[in-house]
Amino acid sequence: MTALTRRASRRYVSRHRGQIALSLLGVALGVAVVIAVDLANESARHAFLLSRQIITGNATHQIVGGPSGVPEGLYRTLRVNLGIHTSAPAVEGQVETTPDHHVLQLSGIDPFGAGGVHNYLAGTARQLPLGRLVSTPYTGLVSDQTAARLGIAAGDVVTVRAGAQQHTLTIIGLIHPADAPARQALDGVLVTDIATAQEVLHLTGRLSRIDLSVPQDAAGERELKDIRAALPPGTEVIRAASHTQALEDMTRSFQSNLTALSLLALIVGMFLIYNTMTFSVVQRRHFIGLLRALGVTRREVFTLVMGEALVIGGIGTMAGVLMGIALGHGLVHLVTRTINDLYFTVTVATLALSPPSLVKGLAIGIAGTLTAACVPALEATRAPPRAVLSRSALESGTRRALPVLTGAGGAVFAAGLGILTLDRHSLVVSYAGVLLVIVGFAMATPLATVALAGALRPILKRLGGMLGGMAARGVTTSLSRTGVATAALTIAIAATISVGIMIGSFRDTLANWLDTYLRADIFVTTAGGDHTPIDPDLVRRLITTPGIDTYSRGRHFHIDSSSGVTELLALDLPPVSLPAFHFKAGDPDRVWPAFENRDAVIVSESYAYHHRLGVGDEITLRSDVGPRRFSVAGIFYHYGSDQGVVFISRHTYEKYWHDTGITSLGLYAKPGVDLTALSERLRRRAGADHPLSIRTNRTVRELSLRIFDRTFAITSVLRILTIIVAFIGILSALMALQLERAREFAVLRAVGLTPRGLWGMVVTQTALMGLISGLLALPLGLVLATILIFDINRLSFGWTLEWHLHPAVLIQALAFSIIAALCAGLFPAFKMARTPPAAGLREE
Amino acid sequence: MVGAAFLALFGIQPPTDTQNAAHSEAVTDILDADNNSAGYAHADGPRTFTFPADHGPHPRFKHEWWYFTGNVDDSAGHRFGYQLTFFRIALSPRPRPGRSAWGTNQLYMAHFALTDVAGDAFHAFQRFQRGALGLAGAEARPFHVWADDWSVAAVTPGATFPVHLHAARDGFEVDLVLQRGKPVVLQGDRGLSRKSSAPGNASYYYSLTRMPTRGVVRLKDHTFHVQGASWMDREWSTSALARDQTGWDWFALQLSDDTELMYYRLRNNMGGIDPHSSGTLVFPDGRSRHLSGSELKITVLNWWKSPHSGARYPETWRVEVPGQDLSLHITPLLTDQELNLAVTYWEGAVKIAGSSHGSPVTGSGYVEMTGYTDRGR
Repeated sequence: MTALTRRASRRYVSRHRGQIALSLLGVALGVAVVIAVDLANESARHAFLLSRQIITGNATHQIVGGPSGVPEGLYRTLRVNLGIHTSAPAVEGQVETTPDHHVLQLSGIDPFGAGGVHNYLAGTARQLPLGRLVSTPYTGLVSDQTAARLGIAAGDVVTVRAGAQQHTLTIIGLIHPADAPARQALDGVLVTDIATAQEVLHLTGRLSRIDLSVPQDAAGERELKDIRAALPPGTEVIRAASHTQALEDMTRSFQSNLTALSLLALIVGMFLIYNTMTFSVVQRRHFIGLLRALGVTRREVFTLVMGEALVIGGIGTMAGVLMGIALGHGLVHLVTRTINDLYFTVTVATLALSPPSLVKGLAIGIAGTLTAACVPALEATRAPPRAVLSRSALESGTRRALPVLTGAGGAVFAAGLGILTLDRHSLVVSYAGVLLVIVGFAMATPLATVALAGALRPILKRLGGMLGGMAARGVTTSLSRTGVATAALTIAIAATISVGIMIGSFRDTLANWLDTYLRADIFVTTAGGDHTPIDPDLVRRLITTPGIDTYSRGRHFHIDSSSGVTELLALDLPPVSLPAFHFKAGDPDRVWPAFENRDAVIVSESYAYHHRLGVGDEITLRSDVGPRRFSVAGIFYHYGSDQGVVFISRHTYEKYWHDTGITSLGLYAKPGVDLTALSERLRRRAGADHPLSIRTNRTVRELSLRIFDRTFAITSVLRILTIIVAFIGILSALMALQLERAREFAVLRAVGLTPRGLWGMVVTQTALMGLISGLLALPLGLVLATILIFDINRLSFGWTLEWHLHPAVLIQALAFSIIAALCAGLFPAFKMARTPPAAGLREE
Repeated sequence: MVGAAFLALFGIQPPTDTQNAAHSEAVTDILDADNNSAGYAHADGPRTFTFPADHGPHPRFKHEWWYFTGNVDDSAGHRFGYQLTFFRIALSPRPRPGRSAWGTNQLYMAHFALTDVAGDAFHAFQRFQRGALGLAGAEARPFHVWADDWSVAAVTPGATFPVHLHAARDGFEVDLVLQRGKPVVLQGDRGLSRKSSAPGNASYYYSLTRMPTRGVVRLKDHTFHVQGASWMDREWSTSALARDQTGWDWFALQLSDDTELMYYRLRNNMGGIDPHSSGTLVFPDGRSRHLSGSELKITVLNWWKSPHSGARYPETWRVEVPGQDLSLHITPLLTDQELNLAVTYWEGAVKIAGSSHGSPVTGSGYVEMTGYTDRGR
């Protein structure tokens, strides 16, 4: 009997090749998107971990300090007094090559004394001129790959900018990494001796950190105790892994949101499978009934349908894996660009084909297919032996089930919303809620389709006469087919709408915030976004430039601690700049005096969210005189960083940190001064090769928005991919439908309907489906947008976004929906119209 | 001990683990840097030694070392040999300019080895450290040479001797005080030790041949109160050995009749002994006598193959100085005293039995053998 069913399957497939091909494509695309996003995420993560591993080497712990790092004398104490030989100093920072603007990670190491802690040059080819690296100032090494990218060879010089100065370094040798991981990790890294790094980065006397490799036993614990006892105030021993973890956590929300978005494409793909399998079952009801009469069991029928689904799913998924790898190559650049823009520098040279990602994609693809096929397969087993159910009976059955389906959908939808109103910190729960909302809505789609088609029928009848009416009825009469296709398109369009509204709202919020937050006329920062202080003489020169009324000075820095990385900005704020801050909590009249005079800090909304802080709470920061507690005076809106920032007054900063460095200046022009001319003047005073970026208020605003747009480029790509999957779904559904109705159409043709008339009817019907999908997508899109803006965003980043609706988003979505459906209907309509009536009327 | 190309002659072994890779390559790199000695000072003639200044560093020469070896035992007869050596290597002729306190052209490499005769165990460790920031260095007054926490330093700031010698690693530790003992012996021609016929191919070389030593040796949880005698070799140079020289054998022997014998022989690639091999005999009153290569007869009695490096080293020797009526049989305290560090060589404590002027003598000392590995030149 299995031979029979298998032959039947083969025959069915061979006679519905186009249909099956579309299903395969749909599954493949859905899986491809999931795999591509996962591979891109994994590649970025892999590259990050690898470079961390090279940077920290075998380090188990790190000694970290304040804004200017760790005093170098501590290293002497460790080595000479305590005999901690598995310790290694590190001086790091970013430099930018000039004139080409390649950003390089400058890593100052001790090639001889590092005691096996660092791995920079392990496994690399021999004969590196390490003696010269130490004994000759301004020498460096880069990997062969980096050299190729910079267009240099061994012996060439590169000019780099760091902080407020420019330096020329001689590349005295190329590192030829022994394997791909080392190659990747060394990409974009400029290795120098620690002395050169200190001189280039203006860190003489300081180390970025000291890495330690401490055994995990009692001896190691004793060693750590000795080290802790020797630490000067303002330094701390942290676990290397916790630091890496903290950095990795920064990108987690971003990456899980991408994953969620990619899964949406797969869900739409599952609708497609469901549609195809349902169609195949419905078409073969007669045949399945016969099989049952011949003694084929329900189980065998179930196996038959699931087997077909498995074959489609398997082939589609495998194709999807291949497509996903290709797509991943494109996406990885978008992902890393966003990470570089928002979080930290990571260079991904190649897409890492992580086997778990591929296996996960395969499993998800096949499981998704089988899940989607389950319902039609069960449906098939219900066919009674010998029953010859008419299509009309099926359709009326479907319609009878509508109230139940819709009711269930409503319940699922409500449950989804209910979950979302729970107070929680988990993104996964949110995604589950969103999934329920989507599925619930989709379950209600068929009833809504019937209702909308009914409502639109009179209009179509008036416009298109009898054929218009028939088109409208056609949507309802073949609901078992069109319902699912409509639901898939609805979801895809709703996703587009919601993401569109979310991005628009976000952008508007950011733009509004920038308008109030950017108070100064001209902003001066060090190039490359590094936190190297600007030369004090240069600062003096800049703030005394004629035309400047007043200024604010900022010191940007990070504090690494065992609990993560805290971003801080120490500011002296002239009164004119105070309106820049809008407080979510805290009364400005009380915030500012506390901020200036009572050691209080203000924290951004995201920071307060991630650390669950309110006004009056205290945070502990490691200062140069040891850990200090600071009370939170206010929580302000700030969209500059999703990890949040802590602002501290310059006065307080200088009290607890021995540092007078300045990394940014906000300059306020006197009334009537031309800003472009003033910028020019500043540039001249800074010197010809000034490594500063001097930007006007407007440029900073534009730049910020440009980075924002770049950040969401990947989101747009994923949206489009989801719609393509939905498009294929519609195409496939319509093709199936029209092919099945060949006889019906032939009758119409035989009774006098012209090919043109038939064409018009089919096209009208598909356009109607597009319109219905578009209309249904509007409410769902709005609901999803609200969830994205107020729930997913808040949970991921801790931001309050204002809800902004640009009507264009809705209109575009509606238009797109109709156009997509129309395009999908063109080919079937063309094919129907061309079929001679006699061929259609001939019995099989 | 042999001067000029001591380092250049070491056989460089492939690194055994990644953490040594950079070091080994660095050493190869530094030593093989086409032996360019331009810009450095050279040992091109006899000089006047001034102390304590000459106990300190001579940074314009490419290589220099402070070599401490000694044999000690405790009252229960536990016998130990120790070696603590500080090598200074100039990476460039001139100091590195710049503001960073890390900037230097001086690199220090230190070797610490402990021979535990009773435990039949040999432990060897190394350190690399730059001569900057107080991490490693050498000073004449007060005397101090160190790399990280391994150091030899004057006990009282006012006098060079006695010195306090300390090194520890992985639970193995030596903590000793060394008296000066016999006065300084200038080796070779008034302290100029020629290694080949080429002018300038020489080192400045002096020794303290019998330094009364007392202190403790620690092996994990056991502390041994020990005493004995140490030997200090000081040498600095710039030149390398001649192309045909493959390695050397060095003997620092302290005899029971209060005499000491230092001898090195340079081996050439023809399997012969270079005529520039030489030595010194130091008498009980501190006077010394130079010995040319032809005045000694050295016989290898049997060989040992290292399971670590695969190198084949002489194991026991007969050393004869017919003119002095001296005949000595030399046996290592442990066969395996090979150091497998960034450079591979055999350096170990030995015991001596023989006769001098017809009377039996015993003694102890150190022997060093280089250039026996495959990759040695």
